[in-house]
Amino acid sequence: MIQFTRRAALSAVALGGLAACGNGSGTSSVVQTAIDTSKASGEISYWLWDNNQQPAYQQCADDFHAANPNITVKITQYAWADYWNNITNAFVSGTAPDVFTDHLAKYPDFIKQNQLQPLDATLAKDGVKTDIYQKGLADLWVGPDGARYGLPKDFDTTALFYNKQLIQAAGVSAAQLQDLTWNPSDGGSYEKMIAHVTVDVNGKRGDEPGFDKTRVKVYGLGLDGAPDNYGQTTWSMYTGTTGWTFTDKNPWGTHYNYDKPEFQNTIAWMRSLIEKGYMPSVQSVTGANSGDIFGAGKYAMITNGSWMIGQMFGYKGVEVGLAPTPIGPNGKRSSMYNGLADAVWVGSKNKPAAIKWVEYLGSAAAQDVVGKRGVVFPAIPSATQNAQAAFKAKSVDVNSFLIQVQDGTTFLFPITDHAATIGASMSAAIQAVLTGQAQPSSLTAANQQVNALFG
Amino acid sequence: MEGDLLTTTSEALGAAPPGHIASPNRRRKGRSDLRTALLFIAPSALGFLVFYLYPAIRGFYFSLTSYNLLGTPTWVGFDNFVKIPHDPMFWNALQVTVEYVVLNIGFQTVIAVGLAVLMQRLTQSTLLRGALLLPWLVSNVIAALVWFWLLDYQIGIVNQFLRWLGVHPIAFFADNLWAIPTIAAVNVWRYMGYTALLVFAGIQTIPKQLYEAAAIDGSTEWKSFWRITLPLLRPVLAMVLVLTVTGSFQVFDTVAVTTRGGPVNVTRVYQYYIYQKAFTEGQFGYASALAVVLFLILAALAALQMRLLRAGESDLA
Amino acid sequence: MSTLILPPATVPTRRHRRATPGRVFAWVALIVAVLVSLFPFLWVLRTAFSTSRSLASAPSSLLPVDFTLGAFERVLGLSTHAQAVAQGGSGASMNFWLYLRNSVIYAGSVTIGQVFFCAMAAYAFARLRWPGRNLVFGIFLGALLVPPIFTQLPNFILVKDLGLINTFGGMILPGFFMTPFAVFFLRQFFLGLNHEVEESASLDGAGPWRTFFQIVLPMSTAPVTTLAILTFITTWNDYLWPLLVGNTEGTKVLTVALGIFQSQTPGGSPDWAGLMAAALVAAAPVLVLFFAFARRILDSIGYTGTK
Repeated sequence: MIQFTRRAALSAVALGGLAACGNGSGTSSVVQTAIDTSKASGEISYWLWDNNQQPAYQQCADDFHAANPNITVKITQYAWADYWNNITNAFVSGTAPDVFTDHLAKYPDFIKQNQLQPLDATLAKDGVKTDIYQKGLADLWVGPDGARYGLPKDFDTTALFYNKQLIQAAGVSAAQLQDLTWNPSDGGSYEKMIAHVTVDVNGKRGDEPGFDKTRVKVYGLGLDGAPDNYGQTTWSMYTGTTGWTFTDKNPWGTHYNYDKPEFQNTIAWMRSLIEKGYMPSVQSVTGANSGDIFGAGKYAMITNGSWMIGQMFGYKGVEVGLAPTPIGPNGKRSSMYNGLADAVWVGSKNKPAAIKWVEYLGSAAAQDVVGKRGVVFPAIPSATQNAQAAFKAKSVDVNSFLIQVQDGTTFLFPITDHAATIGASMSAAIQAVLTGQAQPSSLTAANQQVNALFG
Repeated sequence: MEGDLLTTTSEALGAAPPGHIASPNRRRKGRSDLRTALLFIAPSALGFLVFYLYPAIRGFYFSLTSYNLLGTPTWVGFDNFVKIPHDPMFWNALQVTVEYVVLNIGFQTVIAVGLAVLMQRLTQSTLLRGALLLPWLVSNVIAALVWFWLLDYQIGIVNQFLRWLGVHPIAFFADNLWAIPTIAAVNVWRYMGYTALLVFAGIQTIPKQLYEAAAIDGSTEWKSFWRITLPLLRPVLAMVLVLTVTGSFQVFDTVAVTTRGGPVNVTRVYQYYIYQKAFTEGQFGYASALAVVLFLILAALAALQMRLLRAGESDLA
Repeated sequence: MSTLILPPATVPTRRHRRATPGRVFAWVALIVAVLVSLFPFLWVLRTAFSTSRSLASAPSSLLPVDFTLGAFERVLGLSTHAQAVAQGGSGASMNFWLYLRNSVIYAGSVTIGQVFFCAMAAYAFARLRWPGRNLVFGIFLGALLVPPIFTQLPNFILVKDLGLINTFGGMILPGFFMTPFAVFFLRQFFLGLNHEVEESASLDGAGPWRTFFQIVLPMSTAPVTTLAILTFITTWNDYLWPLLVGNTEGTKVLTVALGIFQSQTPGGSPDWAGLMAAALVAAAPVLVLFFAFARRILDSIGYTGTK
């Protein structure tokens, strides 16, 4: 809760300036009192969802406890399938954890519902710098009111996973996959490659005469489930190279651009891939796990996110390679750039300890620990390098993911109000086009409905 | 949800078992057992009031508000209800669900009756009956996941078999034409053995003499079935139907674990739409209104079927 | 005294068991039904004995892929994180016996309370005479129609307000007193009870309490047992409610704990072998119960209460 006292108001004004330096997005309109974390003690609860990362965070908790013997962190992990339901129920019932892993798709709603604790004042008081993270990540966690609601934790990008054996069988070398080009009208060398590595049950390739598109054995490009309105692993890496942006501004835009031809042509191109038999139909992949199908050798290539590295490389009998996403009309590659952060619940009974834990998690000390495990890319550059080395030790070259960050070709996950409602209606509209039930131009009407929500 | 309601069908065997002669109640003529009765029902009534009635009333209240669960509800009167008929997703959900219920209950009942008759005429083996009941013993979620894998377009064994036969593979769970029938089929699989056993018990109440008399008169099995078994099963069947239809309308788990309403809303059943509105989109008031509408539909259907039940009172003399 | 064992079907003496086409067809239909019922279980078994990371390489093989007991080890909490990850499985820790105990406490308590209280209520609805009896019964039944979305959250908030989150008390509370089904089920049975026994009891001066406890209940062991088993099975398989209310080690039930085998990340696949092994292990007590009482359940599952 934000307490308004005269002293607080004065200190808020004074801190406003400091806060601005930290997040670079102007003074916060939220009045905050800095919380004193120096005497923090007690037990706090922390929730996360990926149990592959739990050992890393347990170690962080142990290290934190060693440095702060008065504070104990209790970690609870829920499967992704249950996580958000539990968080919502916990908010409603007042039993939410002190600190939890937050996600960009959910956090606008949480801000609106006043469930997140603003952190700027306390961070400024404790001298925590927020400019130490990979470019752009810190800004994502500043709300429309200018207050900061989380410290970046890790990030992910997308790349092309490919099945080395299938690629070799097609006579393609790994080097050929590194510089593919794409455009929405004919798909460029990207589509030619996809066609070449598609094989039907008679052994005919997608670019050979006699290719039977109704009896495909191996698809050249797989599809990670029914595409939604973000297209993180399905279409956004293409639209990002056309100069198209999701919204008028990000974060906190109020006007979506699904009516623009760049977007609609990309969706039309994807539909053409499906119709030519190079990509599986939306119906055949809805609800299915694209990783499992890749592991069964049904996909020669597939675009997917860096969080899937562990699973994709873990399939028996499949050697996996990585290539960056294709270069598009603007002469560059593109990838959606998503990040997670740790947030503090506004109803926490132990905010000093909670914020101290968040500060620790956002520091190089913790992120190096996470990086060394080689499961995700932490947000601090030095820790990212640790992760890269750790992946290398497991024979995974993550350069294809990191090159997007190095070249500055990433774009942020769109953050707006009404995310869930927009997601529901727009995803259905996109799927209707991809299944051939509607024309790409129908997306204009869908876009109007979406923009109408912003009044 | 479905499980609970379907397990309620045992009572289906009519209010008064045929053949039972009620002896006159000689004690307490005219004296009411009210006080005793109240004591007997007290604990259940407490449970009912606190855990069913109160939440239901609160739910009705929420349907008249706009509420996102984390703030306070704002009164909007009947706005939500006015919005519902104009909501294309509502009609989609209703249509999808009705299609599901018709297929699910239709097949399940026919198969259950068929199996019951087979069990009656062919064998009394506990092993076979146990085998048929097994699907009901695992959770909804596991059943859905297993069938989803078996029916997967690319790596499922059923489609491999189809390809081997030279038939085109089918995207069972997501194809416009096949999605709802597939989900209905999965739930038929789950409950057919159980429902069959209930109907089977109902068949047991039909006096054997009727069949024997018919056989002597030269009736075939088939004819006996239509002229004796089916009519006398009517009260049982009607009761089974009331409860299975109610449960069927509330299908949720199978969709939540597999297709989540997609693609393009083809599996967005009513209950799933309610949950989506309530928890994903934060429109709890509107979702409550949707739930009230469902409640009214189910109540009307139940009343209708109860009337059929009365019309189908046991034909035994 | 009404018997509770249904008579075996008698075949009319005139017909002898020869293989008419009709009969053959009927047997084929029955066998098909049984096979369709059982086939997915073969699948569950086969997957449970496979190695998770190898499953994709032979997705439609009928035999276990890379046979291993690893999945069961994960489920029973006998596997280390490293071993689990090596097999492509979920590495979360499983305190299996503790969760089993919690499930038994949860399902057992709910069953005992529900059966007992509903038996009392059913008796009142069936055997006692009082004004408004049928109306109240009808209202009780209306509870069947209440959408679960209405009951879940308010019950959760009530339990939280009572301070019973993460306690067995909180978990058991909603189901402990009644479900409409249980009342319905037992009422039907009690309706069919032979009046004479009760009458002779009342002639002996027994009041309704004694009649119920000492005469009616003992007479009703079969349907009461059946209801108890049905309730136990349904409560054992409960997931959503215990997930909401019981999250500490001391209250987590088996179904909730086994949720760790679900997918951990968006787009990630579940630990299939672990999940299938978990399904088998979670269902095992139920299966044991079932086969122990098979005859009883199958015969009286739709008891009519008469012969």
